[in-house]
Amino acid sequence: MTLAKRTTRIGKALKAAADRSAYLADDNKAEIRVCAGTACHASGRLALRKALDKALAERGLTDRVAVVETGCHGFCEEGPIVVVRPQGLFYPRLKPKDIADIIETSVVGDGIVERLLYKDPASGEPLAHEKDIPFYALQERIVLALNGKIDPYSVDDYLAHGGYAALAKVLEDADPMGVIDEVEASGLRGRGGAGFPTGRKWRFCRGNPGDVHYIICNADEGDPGAFMDRSVLEGNPHSVIEGMTIAAYAIGADSGPVEGYVYVRHEYPFAVERLRAALAQARERGLLGENILGSGFSFDIRINQGAGAFVCGESTALTASIEGHRGMPRGKHIRTVAQGLWGQPTNLNNVESYANVPWIVNHGAEAFAAKGTETSKGTKIFSLTGKVVNGGLIEVPMGATLRHVIFDIGGGMLPGREFKAVQLGGPSGGCLPASLLDDPIDFESLVAAGSMMGSGGMVVVDDSTCMVDFVKFFLKFTAEESCGKCVPCRVGSQRLLEIIERICDGQGTLDDLDRLETLSEDIIEGSLCQLGGSAPNPVLSTLRYFREEVEAHIVEHRCPAKVCRPLISYTIDADACTGCHVCFGACPTQAISGERKQLHAIDQKLCIQCDTCRQVCKFDAIPVVDARPALAEGRQQ
Amino acid sequence: MPRRNGTTAEPKGSALYEVLKGIDFERRELVDKTRGVGLFDLVKDRSGSYKCYACTLCERTCPVDCIEIDYCPEFQELPFDVEAERAAALATLPGESCGANAACVMGEQPAGFVPEIDMKLFDSVIAGIRDGSGLVQALHSTQEAYGFLPRVALENIAEEMRLPFSRVYGVATFYGQFRLAPVGKYVIDVCMGTACHVAGAPLVVEAFSQELEVPIGATTPDGLFTLQTVNCVGACALAPVVRLGDDETIGRVGPNEARKLVRKLRKAEVPA
Repeated sequence: MTLAKRTTRIGKALKAAADRSAYLADDNKAEIRVCAGTACHASGRLALRKALDKALAERGLTDRVAVVETGCHGFCEEGPIVVVRPQGLFYPRLKPKDIADIIETSVVGDGIVERLLYKDPASGEPLAHEKDIPFYALQERIVLALNGKIDPYSVDDYLAHGGYAALAKVLEDADPMGVIDEVEASGLRGRGGAGFPTGRKWRFCRGNPGDVHYIICNADEGDPGAFMDRSVLEGNPHSVIEGMTIAAYAIGADSGPVEGYVYVRHEYPFAVERLRAALAQARERGLLGENILGSGFSFDIRINQGAGAFVCGESTALTASIEGHRGMPRGKHIRTVAQGLWGQPTNLNNVESYANVPWIVNHGAEAFAAKGTETSKGTKIFSLTGKVVNGGLIEVPMGATLRHVIFDIGGGMLPGREFKAVQLGGPSGGCLPASLLDDPIDFESLVAAGSMMGSGGMVVVDDSTCMVDFVKFFLKFTAEESCGKCVPCRVGSQRLLEIIERICDGQGTLDDLDRLETLSEDIIEGSLCQLGGSAPNPVLSTLRYFREEVEAHIVEHRCPAKVCRPLISYTIDADACTGCHVCFGACPTQAISGERKQLHAIDQKLCIQCDTCRQVCKFDAIPVVDARPALAEGRQQ
Repeated sequence: MPRRNGTTAEPKGSALYEVLKGIDFERRELVDKTRGVGLFDLVKDRSGSYKCYACTLCERTCPVDCIEIDYCPEFQELPFDVEAERAAALATLPGESCGANAACVMGEQPAGFVPEIDMKLFDSVIAGIRDGSGLVQALHSTQEAYGFLPRVALENIAEEMRLPFSRVYGVATFYGQFRLAPVGKYVIDVCMGTACHVAGAPLVVEAFSQELEVPIGATTPDGLFTLQTVNCVGACALAPVVRLGDDETIGRVGPNEARKLVRKLRKAEVPA
C-alpha cells in the first residue's frame, strides 16, 4: 500500500469514526455546563443537576438548552461550578435554589445574576466570565485544555475538538522512529516525579526485544494531596487513550504485538467508570483494538485497579501488582524497559505524560520545547491545596515561580493567615520556606532545594501548622506504606517516626537531631526503591529550613504552632467569654463547667484537647496556650 | 501470547515447607544438577532457634519459584516466633478451622456478627478469573460481592488460580483496601491526605472513634458502623473530607460535625 493510499484510508476511517447525529459541546451554543468532578460532586452536584433538569423542563427548554456534564474545571474550592454558554458566565458555589434565577436571567434572558458571581478576593468586584478570573487567566492549559469543555462520556465531543487527529497523523506517517524522535526533541520528561525523558524511555523500550511490548499508564496517584491524574482521567479520558496508543505505535509497530494497561487507584471510582466507558467507545469506533483506523496496527488497553498501596506507584511494584503479587519493588539493575511486566519490555509513563503526547504530535516538538525552562519543557499541572484562597488544579509552564502559583493564581493565603511553608511532592518531597518562594519550579531546582516535583501536589501551610507534627504525619504515612522488603526502610522509617514522636511530646534531646540526620542518610542509601529513597526528605528539609521550630520543642518544651498536645492546654479568656454555653454543649467529655451568661472554665484533667470547643466558640474566647509551666514542673518531679 | 498467572508451585512439595515441619529434615537434592548438589536447611543460632525471620526475600528472588513461605497452625514447632503476631492477624480472619489443632485461631469468629457466605455470589469472581483477570482484580470482585473477603472465598480463589493459600492471603493483607472482616452498614472513611491533615483530620477521626467507641479499622458491636481511614480521596479543596459508603462524600467536617453525623445516623436507625 502506498503512503498516499494509506493516508486517504486512515483519514476516511477517522471521519467515519465520528457520529454526526451526536450532540456536540460547542462554546457558541446555548449550553449549561455542570462540573462533574469529584470535588464538585462532593459539594452537591447531583442535587444541582436535578434542580436544573426540573427548571428547564418547567419552562419547556429541555430541547433548546443542552446540559453537559463536564470533567473537572479545576477550581475545586468554588464547587459546584456551573458555566452558562454561549456567554461563558461562571457561577460558583451554587445551591439548587439558585438555579431558577440563573435560568430566568441568563438562559431565557441575556442578563447576569450578579449576586451569584465569583467575587475577586482582592478587589471584591464580581467577575462574570471564566476568562476574567485570575485563577484561569494566568494559567496555560495544554493537558487540561478540554477539561470543562467536553463531556467525558462522549467520544464525539473529543473528536469534534480535534481528538485522535494526532493518532491518525502518526498512523498515516507510518514512521514509529519519527514519533520517538519528535517526542525526544520536545524535551518531554516523565510527569510522575522522576522526570526521566519520555522519548528516550520509548527508544530504550523499542530497542529491547520481547514476545510482546507492554505500555502501562501509571494512574496510581498515591501522593496524598495530589489529584491531577484523577482529573485528567475524569475530564478527558480519551486524551490518555490517544497518548497511549501513539506510544504503543512508536514502540511496538513492526516489532511485535503491543498491549496496554492502565493501573488506576481503586479510590477513584469516577475515573475508573469514565475510563471504562471511553475504552468501550474507542473500541466501538475503531480507534482502539484490532486494526486501528484501518492501518493494520492493533493495540488494546485493560484497566487494572490498585488496592490502596502507595508503593505501587513505583514501576516495579506496579508490575508486580498487575502480576498478582504483593506490590514489592525489585532492584533496578534490570530496567523495566528491558524486563518489566511478565518479564517483557515495558514502557511505563504517568497519566499526564501520555496526555501531553497528542499535543506534541499536533503542534510539533518545537512548540512544546518553547515552553518551560532549559531542562524542563512544557507545562505541569499542580494541585494546590491547603490554606490558600483558590484551591484547585493549576497548569503553568515549567519554570514559573512558587510565588506566581501560590499568590497570583492561588490568590494567596486565607484572610488573616501567614504563609509558612509549601509542601511539594507528597511524602517523598519536602517543605520549602518563604525565602524560596521566588525559585522557579522545575525538576532540578526543586531537588536542589531538598524537595522534588513528585506528581505535583502542592500543600500550603500557615502558622497554625506545626512543622514537627507535619513531618510526623508524613513519616507515619511512609512507615505504614513501606512494603517491608528493605530493612533500612521498614525499620528505619519506624525509628524516625519514634524520634519525631518523642520530640512532639517534648521528650526529645538535641542528640535526636543528629540521629535523625544519620538515620535518614542510611535509609536513603539502603533502600531499593524511591519510597525508601525519598522517605526521609520531609525530615531533612524540615531540619534544614525549620530547625528553630524543632529546637523549640526540645529546648523550650514549647510548640510554637500550638499543635503538639503534651505541650499545650486549652484555657478560657475571661474577657472574651460571654457565657453563651455553646462550648458546654459541644464538649464530649464534660470538661467545661459554668452557668449561662457566666464565665466558663475548663477542667484540665478531663480535657482531651479535641479542639471542638475552640472551633465552636464564636468569640475566640478559647485560646490555646503553652503548657510549659506545668510540664516543667512535672519534669522536676 | 504468554500470560502467566504467577507461580504454580505447590505448597506441599516445596522445599521450605518440608523444612518448616521441623521434625525430620527431608533433604532434597536439586533436580537435574550434576554439580553443586544442594541441600535445604534453615540455619540455627546458638540458642537453638532458627535465624529465619520470614522476610520473604528468598521466596521473591528464587528463579524457579521453589520456595514458598507457608505457615500452618497444625505444626507446633515453628522455626521462628511469630505466634503472637499471627494470632493477632488471624483473629480478624473469619472462617472454618481445619480442625487439626484445638487451639487454632483460624476458626475464631470475629466479635459481633458473621453473615452467611452465599457461594452463588462467587460465580462472577470465578468467571472473572477464567477471563484472565489477575489476583488483585479477583479480590476486588470478591469484596464487591460480599463487602469483605471471607476465608472460604480466598481458599476458592487459591484453588481456582492454582496458587498457595499463603500467597492469596499475603496479597489480601498487603493492600490497604481489602478487608478480612465484615463491615458495618455505614462505612465511614476519614480522608487522611495531606490537605485534610493540615485542616485537622486527626481530630476528626478521633472524634469518630470516641463517639463510636471503636478504634480505627473496627466495626461497632451492633454492626452499624465501620470506621476506616483512607489516604486521599482527591477532594482536597473540601478538606477535611469524610466518605460515607461508596457514594456520599461530605466536605468540611470538623470534630463537632463528626459527632453530630454519628448521632444523626444512629437516630435514623432507631425505629420511631
